[in-house]
Amino acid sequence: MADMAAIPAAGGASLRQRRLLTHMAIFLTLILMWELGAQVGWLDPLFFPAPSAILTSVWRIYFSQGNIWYHLYISLGLVLAGFTAGSILGIGLGAVVGMNAVIRRFLQPYVIVLEATPRIAVAPLLIAALGFGVTSKIAIIMLVCFFAPFINTLSGVINVDRDRMELMRSLGASKMQVLRKLVLPEAIPVIMAGERLALTSALSGVLVAEFIQRDQGIGTLILTYTRNLNMASAFACILTLTLIGFLIFKGMEMLDHHIAYWKNEAGLRRVGAKRARAWAMSQKGNAHA
Amino acid sequence: MREPEAWLYWMFRILPHLMLFAALMVLWEWAVASGTINTIMVPRPSAIFGAIVELYVTKGTIYEHFFITLAEAVFGFLIGAGVAIALAVSSSLSESFERYVSPYAVVLNVTPGIALTPIIIAWFGYGMGSKIALAAVICFFPIFVNTLTGLRQTDADREELFRSFGATRRQVFLQLRVPAALPLMFAGLKIGLTTALIGAVVAEFAQATAGVGVLMSRFSFALDMASSLATLLSMTLIGLLLFYTMEFLDDRVVFWRREARLSAVSRARARAWKSDAEK
Repeated sequence: MADMAAIPAAGGASLRQRRLLTHMAIFLTLILMWELGAQVGWLDPLFFPAPSAILTSVWRIYFSQGNIWYHLYISLGLVLAGFTAGSILGIGLGAVVGMNAVIRRFLQPYVIVLEATPRIAVAPLLIAALGFGVTSKIAIIMLVCFFAPFINTLSGVINVDRDRMELMRSLGASKMQVLRKLVLPEAIPVIMAGERLALTSALSGVLVAEFIQRDQGIGTLILTYTRNLNMASAFACILTLTLIGFLIFKGMEMLDHHIAYWKNEAGLRRVGAKRARAWAMSQKGNAHA
Repeated sequence: MREPEAWLYWMFRILPHLMLFAALMVLWEWAVASGTINTIMVPRPSAIFGAIVELYVTKGTIYEHFFITLAEAVFGFLIGAGVAIALAVSSSLSESFERYVSPYAVVLNVTPGIALTPIIIAWFGYGMGSKIALAAVICFFPIFVNTLTGLRQTDADREELFRSFGATRRQVFLQLRVPAALPLMFAGLKIGLTTALIGAVVAEFAQATAGVGVLMSRFSFALDMASSLATLLSMTLIGLLLFYTMEFLDDRVVFWRREARLSAVSRARARAWKSDAEK
C-alpha cells in the first residue's frame, strides 16, 4: 500500500469512486441474477421471491396498504419500555454489587448459572406466569436486556484503577466523589458497550415474544406472512428490521461518542472549549463583582 | 498433612454459600405455603425438586430432548463457525475479497438473526434441519468478526522480523498471524456457541416436534411451572457443558496465555527434545 500514499488527493477520490462503482456493479449483478433465476423458474418463488416482488411488497406494506406502521409502533414501543427498565435495573444492580465485595461473593454462583442459561428460553415461562399481553412481553425484553449492562457495569466498577482510587481516598475524597469523579467516568465506556448489546438483544427479545404470542407486532407480522407463504412480504419485514438494526447501531455509536467524549479527539475538543468558555465567563463575573 | 487442611478450607468457603441457598429455599417454600406468593407464578422449591426427580430420574423424559437440542446447537455451531472462519481467513488474505464481502457481513450483523426464524422454518421444515440452520446463521457473526480482527491485528515489528529472516507469506500467516489471532478467535467461538444454543431453542419454540424448547413450551402452556423450571435447568446444563468444553479447548490450544499451561507444555517439549537428542 506504499504506492497509494504517493497518489495525490484527486486520484484518491477517483479510486474511491471506482471502488464504489465496483461495489454497485457486484450488487446489481447479484440482484439481476437473482431476479433472472426467479423469473426463469430456477428459484422457487415460495422460498426465494424475486427482488422485484420484494420491492413491490415493500411498497405495499409501507404505502399502498400501510399495515406495517401499526406493528412497528407496537414492537418499538415495547423495545423502548423493556430496554429502559432492564438497563436501569442492570446498571443499578451492577453498581451496587460492584461496590460491595460481600454481595458479590454470594451472588457469583447464581450469576454464573444464569449466564449459562439462554435468557430467551425463559420466555414461555414468563408468558405462563404473567399471561398473554404487554406485561409478559415487557418482562421478557427486560430480562433479555438486563444482563449485558449488569455484567459490564460490574466489571467496569471492579476494574477501576487501584492507584487512582487510593490517591483520591488519601486526598480525602468522599465515597460519593469517588463514585462520580472516578468510578463512573472509568466505567462508562464499558457500560455503553453493554447498553449497545442490550438494545440489539431487546429487538430479538420482542421478536421471540411475538413469535410465541402471535397477536400483534412485527414478529407476528413476519410469522403470518410466512405461514401464508407470502415470502416477499416476510422479506420486506426483514429488510425493515435490518434498517432498524442499522439505526440502533449508528445511534448507539453516536451516543457513545457524546457521553464518553474523552475517548475521541473531536469530543474532547468540543467539551474542552465549552468548559473554557464557561470558566472565562465566571472569571469575568468575578472581576465585575 | 495437607489433605485435611485443603478440605477444611473448601468447607469454609462453600458452607456460607450452602447456608444462604438453604435459607433462601426455606423462605421461598414458606412464602408459597403460606400463600404470600401465587403458586401459578412461582412454584414451591419442593415441587421443582419433585419435577426434576421425575424428569431426570424416574421417567427420564428429558434425555431424548436434551440430546436433540444439544446436537442441533453443536451442528449449527460447527457449520456457522466453519463458514465464518473460512470467510475471515479469505478476507485477511485478500484485501479486495474483504472489501467486497464485508458490507454483506455488516448487513447480516445488524439484522436480528432471530427474525429469520419463520422463514428458515419454511425453508428447512419442522425437523432438526431448521434448528441447525438458525443456530448456524446466528452464531456466524461473532466468530467472523473476532477471527478477522485477530488475523488483522498483527504486530508490524514482528512481521518485519519474519520478513527479514526470509519467511514466506505462508509462514508469516501460519506461524505469526494465526497464533496471534487464536485468543480472540476463541473468545468469538465461546460467544458463538452460546448464541447457537439460543438459535436452536428459539427455533424449537416457534415450531418443532422435539427438543427442550418444545418440552418447555408444552409445560408452560399447561401451567406446569415446576416441570417448566426443571426443563429450564436442562438448558442451563447444556449451556454450561458447551461453555466449559470451549473453555477447555481454549486452555489446550491457546496454552501460552496461561502460566501453568505454558510451563507444562514447555516442559513436555523440553523432554521430547531431550529424548530426541539422546537418540
